[in-house]
Amino acid sequence: MAEAIHKKLQSELEKYQQMQKDVSKSMSSRQKLEAQLTENNIVKEELALLDSQNTVYKLIGPVLVKQDLDEAKATVSKRLEYINGEIQRYESLLKEMERKSEQHREVLSSLQQEYQRAQGQAVGKV
Amino acid sequence: MTYLHDQMASTGKVKRSKDLPQGAERLKEEHRKVVKDCRSQIEHWNKVEKDYESLQDRLRTLPDKLSYDIMVPFGPLAFMPGKLVHTNELTVLLGDNWFAKCSAKQADTLVEHRKKHVKNALDDLQKVMKNFQNKDDFTDDLEKLAGDTEDFVDIREEVINEEEFTKGKRLAHKPNSKPKQEYLSDLEEDTEKKEGDEERTTGLLSEEELWARLDELECEEELQDERYRHAVRINTGKNTTLKFSERNEQKVQAKRKKKSGKSNGLSPHESYKITSPADIYRVFVDLVNGEPIPRKSILKSRSRENSVCSDTSESSTADFEERRAAFGRSWSHDDATHSDTSDGITEEESPTGTSPRTNGRFEAFTGTVIEKEPLPCSIPYLTIAPPALPTIPERKLEEVGPEALQEPPKRMSKFKATRLHQT
Repeated sequence: MAEAIHKKLQSELEKYQQMQKDVSKSMSSRQKLEAQLTENNIVKEELALLDSQNTVYKLIGPVLVKQDLDEAKATVSKRLEYINGEIQRYESLLKEMERKSEQHREVLSSLQQEYQRAQGQAVGKV
Repeated sequence: MTYLHDQMASTGKVKRSKDLPQGAERLKEEHRKVVKDCRSQIEHWNKVEKDYESLQDRLRTLPDKLSYDIMVPFGPLAFMPGKLVHTNELTVLLGDNWFAKCSAKQADTLVEHRKKHVKNALDDLQKVMKNFQNKDDFTDDLEKLAGDTEDFVDIREEVINEEEFTKGKRLAHKPNSKPKQEYLSDLEEDTEKKEGDEERTTGLLSEEELWARLDELECEEELQDERYRHAVRINTGKNTTLKFSERNEQKVQAKRKKKSGKSNGLSPHESYKITSPADIYRVFVDLVNGEPIPRKSILKSRSRENSVCSDTSESSTADFEERRAAFGRSWSHDDATHSDTSDGITEEESPTGTSPRTNGRFEAFTGTVIEKEPLPCSIPYLTIAPPALPTIPERKLEEVGPEALQEPPKRMSKFKATRLHQT
């Protein structure tokens, strides 16, 4: 009896750890997105400081491609919006994961208690 | 903190015993980790800032010459002599694979802009570090406190609210006792919280301190009462208050001003600010001869007074109101305070109240300022008065005592006056 519970406990624990890993992964990708967000914000501001006399280039692979200043500004704004959307998506995803991991945690703790009780009983019997 | 919880959960063991010192240790460890992280980040950003500054220096000196002779790095291992030309033309990386061709000065502006961001980051990090440093110190204090070491002891005291606050309090004023109970219960809560305040060593405030606090509140109320003299609340039942001459009011006001030495510019506003049940009573006052008299009941108008005296002239009712006013004031005062202190107030008020009234007595029909109630007249009033709060008769008696000395010479004249009015 105690053994079965023990096995169940172990499997639940593994599942929980997997979930934690997923959470941390999405966290890190979200942090990356945040960094990109700040970077693009800086680029936007700096483009605003320039005038049309300066030529703007975009690095695509090994090539520096000339871009129009206004075009560049528009592209950067679009990219910013995209990043914001992604961040929101990741936010909701993270919340879901948190919720699930909470549930899992509860399950784990209840199983733990059962196991301890079972162990106690086993000791009592012996 | 969730990380901590997770750790504990995943290990499958939650230690219940010796929780606090271990928990505190763990907490401090986390704090220290954060502080260390902050420090390293601050170092990093400082370096970045220095780099930017040297870059700016370079940018400023670069356009000085048309070309520079330099050793150009050739691959990872060799250098080659060469020239640096077009010294004013720079291709600047704006971030995210975007480049821009700028002059040296424009590049300088861009660098300034970036330095601003770096400074912001530095400030934030400093704040975070300070915060966590404080938290660390705080947990230290907490540990000391909870550890029951020599310096700090957490004193807890079970307080029975009911006894203390019904002492000297009339049942009718129960609503007023609540704030104090809350005050006490708040204190209880505070002591039960394990906040690491050194003040907690005092524990719950002693009774004496509470009474002292009550006395303070009384004094505050006295001051407030001075200001509330001018609360004009038209009696909804009878509009006799409307007829009072303004001159009398002004005189009374002037007297009050002199006495209290405060400006009463704010009184109309103040009169409507309600912060305690006493304030409500104060608002519901009848204005008699410039004196706001609180009604015995908010619901009732002054209809009952007429029945007391034989004559139903307005002056006599005004007379009446006047009588009530004198202790009505003290009554409203009594709402929130003890009976002891308010005695002093009524004595205070009576001498000042009498003088303006004597002047205005014969001015206008309705504006007669009437002195404090004379002794004989007060007695029938007592017996016939509508069921008022039990202490009102007490108040009256107390008040009447000191006034009786002043009244005798004027007593006759007042009745004469009312009789004259009737005829």
